[in-house]
Amino acid sequence: MNNSLNKSIVLISLSDVILTGLSEILKGSIAGEIIQLRRGDEIIDFPGLVGNFLVIATPEELEKSTSLIRQILPATGGVQFMAICFDLTSVPTMPSISINDSSALICYKVNEILNSLDTNQGKEPDTELTRREIEVLQLLTKGYSNKEIADHLFVSTHTVISHRKNISEKTGIKSASGLTMYAILKKIIDVTDINPDELI
Amino acid sequence: MELFNEHSKLASVILKDHSLLPVINRLGIKLGFGDVTIRTICEEKGIDLNFFVETINVFHYEAYFPEKRLLDFSVSMVIDYLVKTHQYYVNYLIPENDRLIELFLSADPDESTENDLVRKFYSKFKEEFVIHIHFEERVMFPYILELNRVIENPASRAQFKQKYPDYSISGFEKEHSNMDDKMDDLKNIIIKYLPPNYDQNRGNTFLANLFMFEKDLKNHSRIEDHILIPKVKQLEMVLQSHE
Repeated sequence: MNNSLNKSIVLISLSDVILTGLSEILKGSIAGEIIQLRRGDEIIDFPGLVGNFLVIATPEELEKSTSLIRQILPATGGVQFMAICFDLTSVPTMPSISINDSSALICYKVNEILNSLDTNQGKEPDTELTRREIEVLQLLTKGYSNKEIADHLFVSTHTVISHRKNISEKTGIKSASGLTMYAILKKIIDVTDINPDELI
Repeated sequence: MELFNEHSKLASVILKDHSLLPVINRLGIKLGFGDVTIRTICEEKGIDLNFFVETINVFHYEAYFPEKRLLDFSVSMVIDYLVKTHQYYVNYLIPENDRLIELFLSADPDESTENDLVRKFYSKFKEEFVIHIHFEERVMFPYILELNRVIENPASRAQFKQKYPDYSISGFEKEHSNMDDKMDDLKNIIIKYLPPNYDQNRGNTFLANLFMFEKDLKNHSRIEDHILIPKVKQLEMVLQSHE
């Protein structure tokens, strides 16, 4: 899953009318998910959230749970906050939607903030293995341990581990047997070089 | 995203997320249930309502995992669910995967080396997986159930201590992430790197089954690693404090 592009909305309100109403208004105009909570601290039940978030709640709720929300939501993604204002006379001090805003205006305001969240768009991760990584991969498929690979290439075990991590990130393959198969399919090694019964 | 609750109609739950079909089966429900709500059917079938609701929500929504509430469920209920999941893997999903992978890899009469490698990778994965399941069922689960019994009935403590002199779940904690990794690798290899010398439709069917397997397995591991194991550690501590 491409988590960096994932943008979700966390909607917090004790009122089902607000939760359901705002979800209905927003669901057609945003790509991400809308997570509905009655209280901010319910966020603790969602430890697996990834990506960027826009949290929409009343100013009071935001004041109460902003720090908890910041703790729970992944530090890797961006988090923005937006208030729902019922009091039409006060001037909001932060991005907000008013209870009387039209659907179109609410969608516009929400999308404006969502677009400002950093998505790392256009930064395609590199998938080509470097020469050094190919060397590490070749030794790995021969059944060498990290220590043996390090000795063979005159580098530290730490460097080998870091190469292996990069190899897995670039190829999407994590296990040693999976990497062996990758190496054969990409013709980095020849199937006759290894004993497939042992290594796959 | 809206969590399901006891008032949700079970039919709408399934229409919304059909990957829950095997989950409700193993919780004790068969199809043909009409328009009943979750509460009604749980009462009818004697299923623990909270366990049912939390289990389907955790399965449906990857980010949701209310650890504190899940830790309240009884050990025997959790193990019963896990054993039924194992049965589903061993009796249905794995044989089905075996059948589908053969259909897809052997479609090409000039059997290619590449296809054969995939087959080998899959069989190795399966072998490890089945060993892992058997280990849990023959060694780990019986240990946990007995530990649970000792806590409830301290009279049998001496007997338990004799059978498990240095009891500790830490020795059992096994390589779940390893299993998940290999399944993930298999998917990536087929999608990204295997030359498409096979029938695409059959390949797709195999992959679809694999995706389903993966989702189920991830949830299974999540329940074992974050619910069952912490619970057992609690029980071990209780036992230790009585010594």
